[in-house]
Amino acid sequence: MPFTAKSGKFNASIKPVTIGSGDKAATIGGENVLPFYSFDAEIANAPKVGIEVTDFGMEHEPECLKKYYDGCTTAADMVKKAVAFEGVDFISFRMEGGDPNGANKSTEDLMATLGEVIEAAGDMPLVICGSKNAERDAELLQKAAELAQGKNAIILAAREENYKTVGAAAGLAYNQIVGAESSVDINLAKQLNVLLTQLGVNASNVVMNVGSAAAGYGYEYVASTMQRIKAAALSQNDAQLQMPIITPVASEAWATKEASASEEDVPGWGDVESRGIDMEVETAAADLACGSNAVILKHPVSVATVSKLIKELV
Amino acid sequence: MAKFVTIGERLSTTAPAVNKAFTERDPEPILKRAKQQLDAGAVYLDVNIGPAESDGEDLMKWAVQLLQSEFDNVPLALDTSNKKAIEAGISVYNRSKGKPIVNSADAAGRIENIDLAAANDAIVIALCNGEGIAKDNDERMAFCQLLLERGLEHGMEAEDLWFDPLFLVVKGMQDKQMQILECIKMFSDMGLNSTGGLSNNSNGMPKHIRPIMDSALVAMCMMQGLTSAIVNPNDLRLMETIKSCDIFKNNTLYADSYLEI
Repeated sequence: MPFTAKSGKFNASIKPVTIGSGDKAATIGGENVLPFYSFDAEIANAPKVGIEVTDFGMEHEPECLKKYYDGCTTAADMVKKAVAFEGVDFISFRMEGGDPNGANKSTEDLMATLGEVIEAAGDMPLVICGSKNAERDAELLQKAAELAQGKNAIILAAREENYKTVGAAAGLAYNQIVGAESSVDINLAKQLNVLLTQLGVNASNVVMNVGSAAAGYGYEYVASTMQRIKAAALSQNDAQLQMPIITPVASEAWATKEASASEEDVPGWGDVESRGIDMEVETAAADLACGSNAVILKHPVSVATVSKLIKELV
Repeated sequence: MAKFVTIGERLSTTAPAVNKAFTERDPEPILKRAKQQLDAGAVYLDVNIGPAESDGEDLMKWAVQLLQSEFDNVPLALDTSNKKAIEAGISVYNRSKGKPIVNSADAAGRIENIDLAAANDAIVIALCNGEGIAKDNDERMAFCQLLLERGLEHGMEAEDLWFDPLFLVVKGMQDKQMQILECIKMFSDMGLNSTGGLSNNSNGMPKHIRPIMDSALVAMCMMQGLTSAIVNPNDLRLMETIKSCDIFKNNTLYADSYLEI
């Protein structure tokens, strides 16, 4: 009997979501096949790569990053350089200093920094991330969504604890894209999307952060979560899970001991910068293979590498 | 596995209000009932225009176009003994949301509806029945084979034949209920799709009992592998049961609001 190859193309697809506007606008999602199954159907939009900057500017960055951001101190300085790095599709600004258990910066300070970042980013699409403290983020992200009006930015993220405030501000009042964050919990990922749409947010203006971990740090849970979500979205045509996935990698990868332990402390591990880049690239590649439509990285070499990987495969 | 397919049964000439609206071509009551069923989670809508011997073709076209234009090409089951009316309905049918369903063929006088479905790339409900009710599952499965072969001979995919075991009324045929459940398992073991007028089981029972019987039966049927049923989607208990069984069967991913979607 002749062999007839069966196409892995689905009748369902991921919703395309466009970030930013104008020439540099980036669209993620839209595909009707599993990640990189370009032999079954054209991948509507290649995954996108963002570069992360925090409100601390260069202050908390690893030593190895300094040579790429020569002369920079503030977040805005960094963004001006980062927009020109090879492979950068969008800028991700994280308000790390907003954490009440950390620097606990004032909302005014953070909005001032965000204002500078928005200006420095020019027409590059933006992702605006909170402090990871749900209560504080309700306030911060509401203000950020207002300040970034007209930017069509992703506001990352609305969580179970604050989705009403963040979802209403980003998705209803200021026409941004709502990032819905759940931590490696497929049922909550779906539930958040249901709740946001019930709130009135257009399902086509939602992206998901379904959780992230560095490779080797409980990563298999992230992988199976993403795969189950893509399976529901495509093979079960589950409209409540057809939102594209965006995954922050930098904050996880660079927090590992592999990326941070000094060469003096672990002489056998080799160059610390390469270790950090490796952790970041490996994690990002795994995320993309599991279904992330966008990843957020920190190191310019990682960004260029992952961007090249995507171009080769799509 | 795919989600259970509910076919809403409330657009039927057996309901006097619907019959009158069909006769008078009055869109309002039809659209109202259709919307109620779709809002409650019906996937397909059954359009039962009765025998419609005189104006069936015109009526079915009118109903198909009315419903599909109002509800984003909602998929429909065309339900009448008038074959020309079914063909007329299919001729104006938009299949972007799903193939039309021919309701129905059997192994006796209506076997040609299989050919009709095959010729029109439609799904067909294949009732495992000859003249009168099948006496046991040997007979049901013989009809099933006959209908399946007829479909395949005419170029149909097996998945487009939805086999109906013919649900029997409990009051009078209580001893046959397990046979029906076993028959569904046989369809399922053969990889076949199945459907049927499930609420027939509770015919003649008090109104408050019927949702309870229908829900219990649908759960047992889904366990046996039933893939669809022609039901009243506005029976909340029944729909909650179907949605819950879809979760247990891993047909849909659980979320706390699963009953609301």
